[in-house]
Amino acid sequence: MFKWKKLGRIFNPLDITDRPWLKEFAQAPSVLIFEDFIRVYFSCRPHRDENGQYISYSAYVDLNRNNLFEIVDISKQPIMKLGGPGTFDEFGTYPTSVIRSEHGVMAFYGGWTRCESVPFNVGIGMAISHDNGISFSKSGNGPVLSYTPDEPFILSGPKIRRFNSLWYLWYIAGRRWIWNDGKPEPVYKIRMACSNDMVNWIRAGRDLIANKLEVNECQASPDVFFYENRYHMFFCYRYSLNYRGKEKGYRIGYAFSDDLQNWTRDDSKAGIDISDKGWDSEMLAYPHVFGLDGCLYMLYLGNEVGRYGFGLAILKKYKSL
Amino acid sequence: MKWEKIGKIFDPTEHKLANRCHEFAQSPQVLVFDNFVRIYFSTREKDKTGKFLSHISFIDMDKEFRKIVNVSSKTVIELGKLGCYDEHGIFPLNVLRDDNRILGYIGGWSRRVSVSVETSIGLAISQDNGLTFKRIGDGPVLSSTLNEPFLVGDPFVAIYNNKYYMWYIYGISWIYCKATLSRERIYKIGYAVSDDGINWNKANRQIISDKLNREECQALPSVIYHKDVYHMFFCYRQATDFRKNRERSYRIGYAYSEDIHNWIRDDENVGIDVSPNDWDSDMMCYPHIFKCNDNIYLLYNGNEFGRYGFGLALLEE
Repeated sequence: MFKWKKLGRIFNPLDITDRPWLKEFAQAPSVLIFEDFIRVYFSCRPHRDENGQYISYSAYVDLNRNNLFEIVDISKQPIMKLGGPGTFDEFGTYPTSVIRSEHGVMAFYGGWTRCESVPFNVGIGMAISHDNGISFSKSGNGPVLSYTPDEPFILSGPKIRRFNSLWYLWYIAGRRWIWNDGKPEPVYKIRMACSNDMVNWIRAGRDLIANKLEVNECQASPDVFFYENRYHMFFCYRYSLNYRGKEKGYRIGYAFSDDLQNWTRDDSKAGIDISDKGWDSEMLAYPHVFGLDGCLYMLYLGNEVGRYGFGLAILKKYKSL
Repeated sequence: MKWEKIGKIFDPTEHKLANRCHEFAQSPQVLVFDNFVRIYFSTREKDKTGKFLSHISFIDMDKEFRKIVNVSSKTVIELGKLGCYDEHGIFPLNVLRDDNRILGYIGGWSRRVSVSVETSIGLAISQDNGLTFKRIGDGPVLSSTLNEPFLVGDPFVAIYNNKYYMWYIYGISWIYCKATLSRERIYKIGYAVSDDGINWNKANRQIISDKLNREECQALPSVIYHKDVYHMFFCYRQATDFRKNRERSYRIGYAYSEDIHNWIRDDENVGIDVSPNDWDSDMMCYPHIFKCNDNIYLLYNGNEFGRYGFGLALLEE
């Protein structure tokens, strides 16, 4: 089991005053490690538009590798543009996951469009950077992972990984929209696909993580890493309805696997929970685990799913199961 | 080619249709039975916001196309669920026999906010001779990809040598039209191949060259194999001002192929055009080609995109 020690909040978007596109939220952190710093990608939003609607961009903050609480740089502009009219990513790029490849730094991201009967749909896009992850150009105007008969909408939350010479993509797929007080709310589950070339993906075609709360439990941010001879997945989950407060909001879950295909959920081993007070006292969401200089760290979101930024925890103790 | 126009054979306003539909009978699609011909089409109801929903219905005709012997009174296929690709309409439902079942490829429509609509292609199967269809899943079998970013629609599927071939359209851009203050879509014809009818490999290229200009819209490909050549009928139009302006609206185009992959556009030989002062004098669109009793026929829509029904032509030579 894991035991994490919270180190505190790393980044609060409300502290940034000179970027009109970075006003609210810092969501879904994802790390790229450099020699002197670590680059933490996240998604953020300008203020709501005149119709009260958000768009979201992806950006990064660079942290001193020797002192992760020291911000050494923040992206001057979003790392990629929103899509053109009618495209899947016209209204948002969130979340973004990055990895180095022989071609450059690759990004997989959720692209957001707006619908009439439901508020949005999401597809997974791919982009490449040739300047060490400062800016990304899209591999096409459409998504790299789109809908299938049993993954009908909301393909989002991609996490790109490489194990055993294969590319793996963990992501979420929408299952159904349910009406709640005249407003549709989506239900989504954790899924995976693998690929030789990052373009053609073979999907597992099944939910990987058993439900704990309810049939309509929403699961997100499937973050997989290999550690001590085993694959581990941290993710977050919540109730399908009335999830904007403490009681039914996001918590961090945990599962392990020996073959990357079959996952055993055991949230009791996650070793991290909400704080008594402060910025992460109501929810914990969007975990991302990374190794750095002999330590294992977790980045995660707190209350209101990252409205007040993200924080850092360090692994204190690990005991294999 | 030379076609003899038989005339309009169905007017939806003269019949009682299911799902509160009373106008439009678009994109006719045929299933030939021993004693009759079933013609599926898309018809419309207005929802409570005043916008259209496209439903599938069908009529049965005798094999000489002289008489309508049945009009479907029930729902052939439900619209898609909340948030699904086919929630707001099915246009067309392309049907074909595959062993003892009937496949129905769904051109599914759902509404968007910044543009009017998005489309994808799904699959439903009928086990009752085409009276009703049930989806294989809530989502599509063919949808947007890196280089076909939206508006994947207008499926036409045929099986040759145990392979499934799908011709379809995909969007390449939404252009802003100053005259209507709205966005208009541009789409082209592509194709995909499959071993099972579910998992498709796109060719990822436009297979019919443009005739009008780069913004030409190409729609509803329909293919038949006849005398050792594959023949495709489709429709095409200008990207803007095509609804009321006769000169810019849909016409029927034609292409042929000897290897099923490479097509030569040859509109000169399509052999059919708009009539003067008739139900198909302003436009001709949504062609569907099929064989019946050793004849080759073309179903198509006329003025106002088929608001008042579809007509038939017979291949003479």
